[in-house]
Amino acid sequence: MSLTVPAVPHEPGRAPESAAEVVGRLEDTWRARPGLRGWLSSVDHKSIGKRYIITAFVFFLLGGIEAAVMRAQLARPENGLIGPDAYNQIFTMHGTTMMFLFAVPVMDAVGLYLVPLMIGGRNVAFPRLNAYGYWVYLFGGAFLYVMFFLNTGPDTGWFSYVPLAGPEFSPGKRVDVWAQTVTFTEISALVASVELIVTIFKTRAPGMTLNRMPLYVWSMLVQSFMVLFAMPWVASASMFLAMDRLVGTHFFNPAEGGDALLWQHLFWFFGHPEVYIIFVPALGFVSSIVATFTRRPVFGYPAMVLSMVATGFLAFGLWVHHMFVTGIPQLGASFFTAASMMIAIPSGVQIFCWIATIWSGRPRFAVPFLFVLGFVALFLIGGFTGVMIASVPFDTQVHDTFFIVAHFHYVLIGGAVFPLFGAFYYWFPKVTGRMLDERLGRWNFWLFFIGMNVTFFPMHELGLLGMPRRVYTYLPETGWGGLNLLASIGAVTIAVSVVVFLVNVARSLRVGEAAGANPWGADTLEWAATSPPRPYNFAFTPVVESREPMWQHPAELPAVEGLRTDVREVLVTTLLDAEPDSRHRHPEPTIWPLIAAIATAVLFITLIFTPWGAVIGTVLLFLAFVGWAWPRGKDHQEQLMIEAES
Amino acid sequence: MTGFRIVANVTELPTTTFGHRSPMWWGTIGFIVIEGSTLFICAISYFYLRRNFLNWPPEGVFRPALTVATVQAALMVLSNIPMAMVDRAARRLDLRAVRVGMVVCTLLALVMCVLRALEFEALNVRWDSNAYGTVAWAVLTAHATLLLLETLESLVFTALLFSPNLEQRDLAGASDNALYWYFLTLVWIPLYAIVFLSPYVM
Ligand code: HEM
Ligand SMILES: [Cu+2]
Repeated sequence: MSLTVPAVPHEPGRAPESAAEVVGRLEDTWRARPGLRGWLSSVDHKSIGKRYIITAFVFFLLGGIEAAVMRAQLARPENGLIGPDAYNQIFTMHGTTMMFLFAVPVMDAVGLYLVPLMIGGRNVAFPRLNAYGYWVYLFGGAFLYVMFFLNTGPDTGWFSYVPLAGPEFSPGKRVDVWAQTVTFTEISALVASVELIVTIFKTRAPGMTLNRMPLYVWSMLVQSFMVLFAMPWVASASMFLAMDRLVGTHFFNPAEGGDALLWQHLFWFFGHPEVYIIFVPALGFVSSIVATFTRRPVFGYPAMVLSMVATGFLAFGLWVHHMFVTGIPQLGASFFTAASMMIAIPSGVQIFCWIATIWSGRPRFAVPFLFVLGFVALFLIGGFTGVMIASVPFDTQVHDTFFIVAHFHYVLIGGAVFPLFGAFYYWFPKVTGRMLDERLGRWNFWLFFIGMNVTFFPMHELGLLGMPRRVYTYLPETGWGGLNLLASIGAVTIAVSVVVFLVNVARSLRVGEAAGANPWGADTLEWAATSPPRPYNFAFTPVVESREPMWQHPAELPAVEGLRTDVREVLVTTLLDAEPDSRHRHPEPTIWPLIAAIATAVLFITLIFTPWGAVIGTVLLFLAFVGWAWPRGKDHQEQLMIEAES
Repeated sequence: MTGFRIVANVTELPTTTFGHRSPMWWGTIGFIVIEGSTLFICAISYFYLRRNFLNWPPEGVFRPALTVATVQAALMVLSNIPMAMVDRAARRLDLRAVRVGMVVCTLLALVMCVLRALEFEALNVRWDSNAYGTVAWAVLTAHATLLLLETLESLVFTALLFSPNLEQRDLAGASDNALYWYFLTLVWIPLYAIVFLSPYVM
């Protein structure tokens, strides 16, 4: 092997353990705690990741139900199913749910589950913080829905423009609910990004240099950096909005020198990268699936990595294209038009690399691969309309019409949801130990693909005909009835396909074919673990010598020994070359992250009603922090033992 | 399942590391980036809203008073000296020096909190008077929040240094805390210039 790992002699006096002994002890040491309390205390990235994924999927279903209600209302002119107030709340709930509670969290969730496995680690870098992030997210989402059912759901659209969302035009608490929900989800997203960055930087398997990192891990690294730089903008903006509403500040109040456009700048400086925050991990899914189902490493690894990084940078230079009709200077508009068109370049590079890979390999058209092909088709359409609306005159025409709704659903569903479903089919066996059914999977795919086009393609035409978005009904004389009916039929088709998916999951969990460790014959390290993986992931930390460790050593991976088996311990490696650098004790399960998340929730929710919420919440949060951080109990004993012995 | 062939042993690796070798250091950097961005956004908003006014501060509003704020800024810069000593002592595993240094720094942090309360007075404008007041308060409050949290954390940490529950790796924690402190105090200097000095020149 290459000499990436210094050979360290066995510690004198400690006999080497046999592999079976090691596994036996690890099983004891890493065993999950029993009962409800154990469940609430888990810090295992796999249990948290699973919860995260399921929670995000539940929000997808809720957002989908809202979409179905909207489509039912719009199916024919002057329909009386729901009135304007309910419609306002429902499209806002749909947009907010899909963007803040589904799309970003689900990408983080899958990453938090997969990344440690893919890089040969045992957990994320800060397991307790990870649990905290999940609970904060859950409470934020639950809070939004409780308020919605109390008829206090937000109703000013998913980007809550001022002055509509300001204190003057939106009295009551609806917009505050929106602003705080955003704050909750920003915190969890930021936590996940720090978590993933440090995990990727410091806990890769020995030998997994940056240059050997799986493309999916690269995609999560780029996404995490984007979150880090994008989310503070919306978190600040929503805080400013809340303050304008709660204590009478004037950030957005033109009468006192505030500025409504400040809101748009702050929001879109986050909001445009947000789209790529959702899309970049999907690129990672696609690369993993393409490699496995063509049995070829993805063509042009450096080009793939560079184009993801380039996408990450360019995404921050586009926000003004959401503001073309606000009267910005013309030179500015031209600049942002050019920048918006430029981002098509890295996406183009990636698509060509995948096509080259597929071309040179022998593709197997299993369900994950079908979803990848669906992604390419849909994303191309969404990309084309994107280039169209990057041009100012065209955008001025279709701004705020259904053309835009069509465009962004092609991008979001095609660019993120299709790869995500591909990922579900692809990694389901790893997570559960069972395969999803292929035949139902094909039904799932084709119904979704056809339904998607039937729903959203007509919306382009509706937009060109002048149908505005966010209207609860329209007159028969407009002649929009037929296309709207078609779109609603498409939505039913999508709903059926999602039901097929749920049936498939339910069936497979009970009677699905057993998967084994590496059912697809894939190349990356997660497939070296059992399905589902044990709590410690790998009995020995694998050593990586190439980009495709499982293809290089299908039967026996090189590995290191010497991590403790009596205490939870993980290996820390260096940033660039992943050389073994230190051993770190991994915390025991603990309930404190949950308590800290409850304190956080109290802080944000009481803050909606009184500024004193800040005081109450800070005190609670402080107590939770002390409870969390003060060394004691089993953790403390173990740490002292380790420090005494080393 | 895939088997394993052992090629190396990591028993000899250390269990406490400092600086960029330690995950916690990177986590601290991550939170510095997040909080730095938040402060940056407040500063950007300050200049953005400035464009809506002919005069800054607007007609009828006094300029901020400088004395307290200037003392505060000087104190923040100087506090880096004892904190750097804590950092060095921690890396030498010199517990006594870390204790002394942290006591000094925690006291300084408490003084800074008091000065911060006076700084709000010194702005000479309320948050709800106009957008100028709003955004000046925003910069000050954003930084004050971080200062308050850091002060609380220093209090707990200093208590831990004197408690029997102390662990060796907490010294690495002291070093990471120092990193955060450098950020918190030095980032205030440009913000001080914006909120307190710029109304005299803009
Ligand atoms: C699954 C099928 C889906 C259907 C049938 C659907 C349908 C709709 C409809 C009818 C509207 C807007 C109506 C209006 O403006 O009056 C809408 C808005 C929106 N949708 Fe979807 N949608 C779906 C999935 C998604 C997904 C997966 C996402 C994001 C990942 C998403 C994000 C949004 C956003 C952000 C809005 C804008 C909300 C606003 O105007 O504030 N949708 N959707
Ligand atoms: Cu955009």
